[in-house]
Amino acid sequence: MQSSLVNFIQILRTHEVRISPAETLDAVDVATTLGYADRSLLRDGLAMTLAKTPEEEVIFMHCFDRFFQQDLADFSAADIAATVDEEAGSSPPASAAQQVADFSAAQAAALQLAAETNTTLQALLQTPLMQSLISNDRTELTLAMNQAADRVGLQQIQIFTQKGQFTRRILDAMGEERIRNAVISLEQAESPALAVLQRYRDILREQVRDYVEREYLLHAEGKTRQFMDDILSKTRLNNIEHIYLHKVQELIRKMAKKLVSRHSRKRKQLKRGRLDMAKTLRKGIPNDGVMFNTYWRQVRKEKPQILAVCDVSGSVAAYAKFLLLFLYSLQDVLPKVRSFAFSSHLGEVSQYFDDYPVEKAIELVNWKYGGATDYGNSLMDFAKLAMDDINSNTTVIILGDARNNNGDPKLDILQSIYQRARQVIWLNPESRRAWGSGDSEMLRYQSACHFSAECNNLRQLERIVDQLLKSTR
Amino acid sequence: MHTQDFPQLASVEQIEQGFESYGYICSRKIATAVFLACQLRKPVLVEGPPGVGKTELAKTIALLLDIPLIRLQCYEGLDEAKALYEWKYGKQLLYTQVLKEKLGDLLQGAHGLAESVAKLHQFGDIFYSEEFLEPRPLLKAMQQERGAILLIDEVDKSDYEFESLLLEILSDYQVSIPEIGTVKARTTPMVFLTSNNTRDISDALKRRCLHLYIPFPTVELEERIIRSRVPDVDEQLRHQLVKFVHSLRQLDLKKAPAISETIDWARSLLLLHAQHLEEELVRSTLNVLLKYEEDIEATESELRALVSDRLVDRQTL
Repeated sequence: MQSSLVNFIQILRTHEVRISPAETLDAVDVATTLGYADRSLLRDGLAMTLAKTPEEEVIFMHCFDRFFQQDLADFSAADIAATVDEEAGSSPPASAAQQVADFSAAQAAALQLAAETNTTLQALLQTPLMQSLISNDRTELTLAMNQAADRVGLQQIQIFTQKGQFTRRILDAMGEERIRNAVISLEQAESPALAVLQRYRDILREQVRDYVEREYLLHAEGKTRQFMDDILSKTRLNNIEHIYLHKVQELIRKMAKKLVSRHSRKRKQLKRGRLDMAKTLRKGIPNDGVMFNTYWRQVRKEKPQILAVCDVSGSVAAYAKFLLLFLYSLQDVLPKVRSFAFSSHLGEVSQYFDDYPVEKAIELVNWKYGGATDYGNSLMDFAKLAMDDINSNTTVIILGDARNNNGDPKLDILQSIYQRARQVIWLNPESRRAWGSGDSEMLRYQSACHFSAECNNLRQLERIVDQLLKSTR
Repeated sequence: MHTQDFPQLASVEQIEQGFESYGYICSRKIATAVFLACQLRKPVLVEGPPGVGKTELAKTIALLLDIPLIRLQCYEGLDEAKALYEWKYGKQLLYTQVLKEKLGDLLQGAHGLAESVAKLHQFGDIFYSEEFLEPRPLLKAMQQERGAILLIDEVDKSDYEFESLLLEILSDYQVSIPEIGTVKARTTPMVFLTSNNTRDISDALKRRCLHLYIPFPTVELEERIIRSRVPDVDEQLRHQLVKFVHSLRQLDLKKAPAISETIDWARSLLLLHAQHLEEELVRSTLNVLLKYEEDIEATESELRALVSDRLVDRQTL
């Protein structure tokens, strides 16, 4: 039972419930304390050690029900019972079960009869597999199936194309080969017992297939998701298919959460500074030089500010969306973010983010400011709107491809921002090699930035935001 | 803390019954959590919306076991001097004064500085000793002879640093005081931490706790709670008011009414001698249930529908 508990925890982990070895030990303790008799009690108890948030609890309940589902595989096959019922016709239904038993007894007898002339079948009938098949010993068969699955490593199953392969391997491990051989030899002998044996073989195959199907759903689901996350975080953001967008948003939230927990610890600064000895001494004079009260130098509080300026023209809009999503998911740790959007002209869009949920706000911004890009004009707008607020505590993040359609870049405005701001970061979704080619003004703009980086997938975005958090406080 | 010491906690069923006798009606899940906490000696982190009885749970256990409840209310800026221990500075100063006067007697016959210092070392140093230690809630809980219920309330309001401070106490039930050494708990206290989820608790802390989430109760459970807390309300009204509160929770409210509000409301309806819910009555007592003006406004527009819904319900009864 302990090993199946460990297996269960393995599955929870692939479903993104984080469980440490210490918690595994706790879970084992819980299981021994509560016992295995009361299923719902055990479930609640395990949930308390393994699931740490209400969301995780939902996942836990889901997995628990699937993993510990106690239906034994049914090898008697219901359709047989149905035929028996039809054959029975007018006979009272109470005896149906009896008839099923009679039926399998008759079949066993038929097999026995055939076995007398066929050595392969005779040997087969001695095997525990065949014996439990005939007597429909469900516990024994389920156990054998689980053991066979363990031996062939069914837990490793990852993609659906592996299902057939694993079914075959489990069947082999259970010794199905001998049934097959017997079927062949009965075929050659044209024995009447052939149909009976074929039926047993088909039942066995069907049950194993079902079992593999169930296990696949349990194990592979989580693994597929991990794989997906990994791929998504490395894909260029504007190549991500529309149907995956919500997944990316989830991923961004997750990344943001990680960054929040990494950076929120440092936030608290000492409220008071160093001891102001001179003042403490001076204030002590009336008390005969006894320093009753201490006086501390005040720490000047810096108020960091972030201005995010995003190009939302067609070519860059997809990236702007993710940057904004990232920044607004970080509200817990980031200082106040003001955001601006531009293509031909620029406007402040912070208001949208106050009024609407982030996704909705981004849509509105795209709709309102999308168009052809004019960096010069937009920088002038920006200077008008925000230049007065830029000081040594301001970080300006500009996201854009710097393709100015051969207009005036107005570099002097960016230079004056550069001189005033604490840092200017330029994120460019184009690869570094393309910077400065054609109508790209990136190389010129770059000269007026503290830091410029290529940024076209989530991995890069995460790294840059991480750096940003480090440097803003 | 062993089950032998507390037969009241010997099984999940017994805990449920024990709680009920003190008027705390709990779900099976809560009783299981208490049982496990006692068996495995692990703290319980209780989460859930405000007013579902997180704090009440700890109080009830203290009553049930008849051991002291020590409560530590967390807030921003709570530090070890307020939570763990503090030196009694005044007494320490007095002690040095006394020592100063006695110094002459003590050092009598000593020649030279080295000899005096050697002599001084022969006396025990009690400047930093337990006598001068002022225990705060956490330390106090360790010192209880028969064990205690330690309630660390609203741990999400405290700072991250404070969480790290709790780690040692929660996993080993001991406190390190640099000047003295490690103080172990005389009897392992039973620890409950509550959180309203205003921020994420660190993983290290969560890992050490059993995690209990108390949601809003089901209609059936809440009716039982009202029956136990406000027994004078007649059955029909009780059914109506609980259903009304449940339908309120379905609305998009800033703060949904919790169990404590339902109890308050039941009491106020009792005072007003209400027999059944009427629109006017609900309107005038809505401020007991809802604590925000916007919520009251939002509900008032839908009040007629909500109450008539209940009235139909009454006729079918």
